[in-house]
Amino acid sequence: MKLSGERTHLYEFHRKHGKIILFAGFEMPVWYKGIIQEHLAVRNQVGIFDVSHMGRVLITERDAEDFLNYVTTNDVSKLTPLSAHYSTMCNEQGGIKDDLLIYRLEEEKFLMVYNASNRAKNFEWLTEYSKAFDVKVEDVSNNVAMFAVQGPKAEQTLQKISSEDLSQVGRFKCTWTKLGNVEVFVSRTGYTGEDGFEVFVWGASISNPDKAFKIWEAILEAGKKFGIEPCGLGARDTLRLEAGMCLYGNDIDEQTTPLEAGISFVVKFHKQNFIGKEALLKQKEQGLKRKRVGIIMLERGIPRSHQEVFKDDQKIGEVTSGTFSPFLKKGIAMAYVSKGHAKEGNQVSIKIRNKYVKAEIVKLPFYQRRGSEKVILYGKEYKIEEAKNLILELKV
Amino acid sequence: MPTGYVIPSNLHYSKEHEWLRIEGDYVVIGITDYAQKSLHEIVFVDLPEVGRKVRQMEAIGTVESVKAASEIYTPASGEIIEVNEALTESPELINKDPYGEGWIAKLRPSNLNEDLKNLMTAEKYQEYLKEAEET
Repeated sequence: MKLSGERTHLYEFHRKHGKIILFAGFEMPVWYKGIIQEHLAVRNQVGIFDVSHMGRVLITERDAEDFLNYVTTNDVSKLTPLSAHYSTMCNEQGGIKDDLLIYRLEEEKFLMVYNASNRAKNFEWLTEYSKAFDVKVEDVSNNVAMFAVQGPKAEQTLQKISSEDLSQVGRFKCTWTKLGNVEVFVSRTGYTGEDGFEVFVWGASISNPDKAFKIWEAILEAGKKFGIEPCGLGARDTLRLEAGMCLYGNDIDEQTTPLEAGISFVVKFHKQNFIGKEALLKQKEQGLKRKRVGIIMLERGIPRSHQEVFKDDQKIGEVTSGTFSPFLKKGIAMAYVSKGHAKEGNQVSIKIRNKYVKAEIVKLPFYQRRGSEKVILYGKEYKIEEAKNLILELKV
Repeated sequence: MPTGYVIPSNLHYSKEHEWLRIEGDYVVIGITDYAQKSLHEIVFVDLPEVGRKVRQMEAIGTVESVKAASEIYTPASGEIIEVNEALTESPELINKDPYGEGWIAKLRPSNLNEDLKNLMTAEKYQEYLKEAEET
């Protein structure tokens, strides 16, 4: 099939080594060797993802903080320079326009990273609301390459070529460092449920991909002895799903609020005003009608988005993301179910092509690593050694 | 690249990428090398029930990779007389050997001569793949 879409700096690498699909208008690799192998590399070793298709916007000038506190739901005033947080932008009805990360680079300089699928919509929204503030909004997506290096060996991999001591960079903290001889911005963030970093290569235009490509190659070389794998969007999706993280367009959209999505920790009602505050407050006071939950299959079957969730003969909700979990070796899903049914341990069924397949509601995340000694499985914390008895694929 | 796929010359092929092999009074069906490579890493197969009577191009089961589910359409009408139970535990057999150990079902055909008119020879199927990849 001939595809035509936008391309990132790494397109030639992807074309040569991977299977290309069209995603949010970009020609991106869905896998190189295979989703399962890449997924397991990130869980036990390290993987590198090209995420340059995502939107990157710089927000600068005097009102940058106030502006961001108005258009996003989390409290930007709590961000110190060189730290980041997860947040959402909502519409007036409290529906999620996008979920995103905000990095405070300097007192009056922020970087916002959001989903590729919402690039045009978000930039327009930000530009419109910026008019009332002393602020500059600049789309730098085409001049900054972005890679995610994720997995228990991510720090060791990057440390081999980093001028700064990365062990000093805590979760959601950032630093400027040199990788080889190139200055980059690095944050301890990710979308996999593992420890890991995201690397921003500034001054890397898509028309001149060499700078970005050299760093990509240098990281692959540094990670060789740890078993690094380049990973595509397929593994990115299964990893984030296991980690219980939302995918915009599947699990959240403009008809879903952060409260229903179970990410109310990014909504700070103490802030004076922000878009969607009134609607969200009202929803909070009236109580939720539905909630996002995790579901595991008790019988053979792979849940997929839009399949219906049943309790006895009654429809109680709908799957928004589902897959075969390469790590837990069973079907897993996220779904929205009516509030009364959103209880851990609740036995339900999912209608998969005319069959009602038994499943159970579990606490999210399905799996996440917590530091060097613990992991979370179905919302519960375990020591790694204990967890190895429960998860055959867990090696490190 | 169409030339990158194995297309045995003695089989009959459907537009939905199933194959059919005639073995005396029954036929064996499966999915083609192209289909298994497109799906990649098959992790789940939903097989039809033995005894079920089916019509050509009816959906009789599902093959799933991590990412996607794909229906299996029977290339012939008839009665399912056996299914490849090994696929339940080892769905990856389809990736390893789509025309051999990865077979899906055996059917006693009810209208084979007519059904074959709707299927392609290996040569035609190769052309069909080439066209599909070029558009």
